[in-house]
Amino acid sequence: MALIKTKKVELVDSPLPNNTFEELKVHLGGPDVNIRRRSARDIVLFDGAAQALFAALEKEQESAVIETIFSTLQAIGSDEVVKGLMHVLRSENAAQRNRAIEVLQTLPDIVSLYIIELLNDIDSDVRIFAIDILQVLAHPDTPKWLFSVLKDETHVNVVASAVDRLAEVGTIDMMDEIISLKNRFPNEHYLHFAIDIALTRIKGH
Amino acid sequence: MKRILIVDDAMTVRMYHRQLMESIGFEVDEADNGIEALEKSMTASYDLFLVDVNMPKMDGYRFVEEIRQNKDLMAMPVIMVSTEAEDKDKDKAYLAGANYYFVKPVKPDELKEYVSLLSGEYI
Amino acid sequence: MTTSGKKSEAGVIRDNEFVRFCEFFYRKTGICFEKNKRYFVDKRLLKRMQETGHESFSSYFTALRFQSSGEEVQELINIMTVNETYFFREEYQFECLVESVLNDVVKNKKLGDIIRIWSIPSSTGEEPYSIALYLLEHWDKINDYDVEIISSDIDTKALKKCKAGVYNARSVKSLPKSLLERYFKEHSCDSFEIDIDIRDAIDFTHVNLSDPAQTDSYRDIDVVFCRNLLIYFDNASRRLVGDVFFDALNPGGFIFLGHSESMSRISSLYKVKKFPKAIAYQKPLL
Repeated sequence: MALIKTKKVELVDSPLPNNTFEELKVHLGGPDVNIRRRSARDIVLFDGAAQALFAALEKEQESAVIETIFSTLQAIGSDEVVKGLMHVLRSENAAQRNRAIEVLQTLPDIVSLYIIELLNDIDSDVRIFAIDILQVLAHPDTPKWLFSVLKDETHVNVVASAVDRLAEVGTIDMMDEIISLKNRFPNEHYLHFAIDIALTRIKGH
Repeated sequence: MKRILIVDDAMTVRMYHRQLMESIGFEVDEADNGIEALEKSMTASYDLFLVDVNMPKMDGYRFVEEIRQNKDLMAMPVIMVSTEAEDKDKDKAYLAGANYYFVKPVKPDELKEYVSLLSGEYI
Repeated sequence: MTTSGKKSEAGVIRDNEFVRFCEFFYRKTGICFEKNKRYFVDKRLLKRMQETGHESFSSYFTALRFQSSGEEVQELINIMTVNETYFFREEYQFECLVESVLNDVVKNKKLGDIIRIWSIPSSTGEEPYSIALYLLEHWDKINDYDVEIISSDIDTKALKKCKAGVYNARSVKSLPKSLLERYFKEHSCDSFEIDIDIRDAIDFTHVNLSDPAQTDSYRDIDVVFCRNLLIYFDNASRRLVGDVFFDALNPGGFIFLGHSESMSRISSLYKVKKFPKAIAYQKPLL
């Protein structure tokens, strides 16, 4: 029979036992993918980790390492991390932007301090990303923030994103404003469709 | 009957595109990110993918790249749609292997026309 | 503050509420409830509403949606998904293992090399034992390689049951009679004990997947079976476990998930691979 019992699974020594912060920073830029990945994980313990991770992110090409960098940033979850991720929202790299959104979605308390700023960003794409964050953000003010977009926003795609989210979390008191969007954007076929869906979800018929 | 996979993380966009596609006689399946779309593309047979760019877990560009590397799916027509309107975004889509790129909001008749053409169905 | 134009009827989930819930649940889990599951879903929603003290669906849904701990979402997932374990459950994956996946794995192995399979959670043992039986009965190269099966669980009581290897008729119902006779001792019509040789061939270990001190020692794995576990985890934990398996697997190694699970809710690190009998997820080769 060729089924064999394994020897007791041996504890594998960490390839980077007791590395200092400086050593981890060096490993973060080293040639070995597994070591870069491991460094990105272990560096979580140190002050200054966020800065080192964002610096590594700018050069890193391997998705496994990038993934660990974002996971560690999420674990740190500090104000510095949120600010850094807000910067990543402007990146040309779609994968990194979307990953940044996912991390920001998990940090409602800190994100709540910056969400208004994002919703009013000069770049309509960033405003849409802010609404993407709100799709999952577990903060009780989410409906209120989404609603605030409706009043002043002029870009149809931003408005449409907000309406899409309000289909899930919108409330009856928002209906009049949502309906009024049809007049403000009279020729937008998709937006009118999304509005009708949102209204149905909110009022039930 | 021709079948389309609509890939978008916004529920109302999926519903809207579904309605448009069903109105011209297509069957529709949905996925809300690129990985789910890959899973579905391997268990069902499609004639066209309609793909958003910005989605969690796997964005549209990467999904299209994966499709083009898969010997069973590489010839599939792909239309990408996105809110991003700059030339560089369009270029990225074509570089990834998209057949066409629309900027949202899409004009319904134009979308129907291109879907029909690319999927080999003529209205 | 009531958010409905008309009062929600007690004990009734309205159509738009059902749809809102399904869309939310799909986003969280990738699971889509068809209309024919309406009664199933409504019943469970109403139960949770009652247990959490919400009279209306909208107040329950608001609490569900904005609870930062995500505990209620986890509770819902628990009750909305049916989970029973038995031998050869989702057999098509074992077929895929012996017909396709292992053939890919051995492309990077020499004759006599060890192949490692990790089955987690072991639960009461049906899955790791199923893998063992399937390999012995159906893998044509079983004599060319040594295969280690490691199976882990966080629940020590479950691990005890695994090591005891005693099962009832319901558990073995999908086994062909010939296998039952060959590998089990029948103590009664409802008690079957799997052979000591098979029991001894599996290394049952206690593991908490959230603890890197424990998971770091799992390495050089070729195939992971992680079926119907991650669906019960929150987003962060799913991603973490996706990472744990990534580090545990050899390049080119594979993961099997439960049939209603999707890697789209877990991790973006794996390549989706289609085989004739199943989909599996592969850690990219170097």
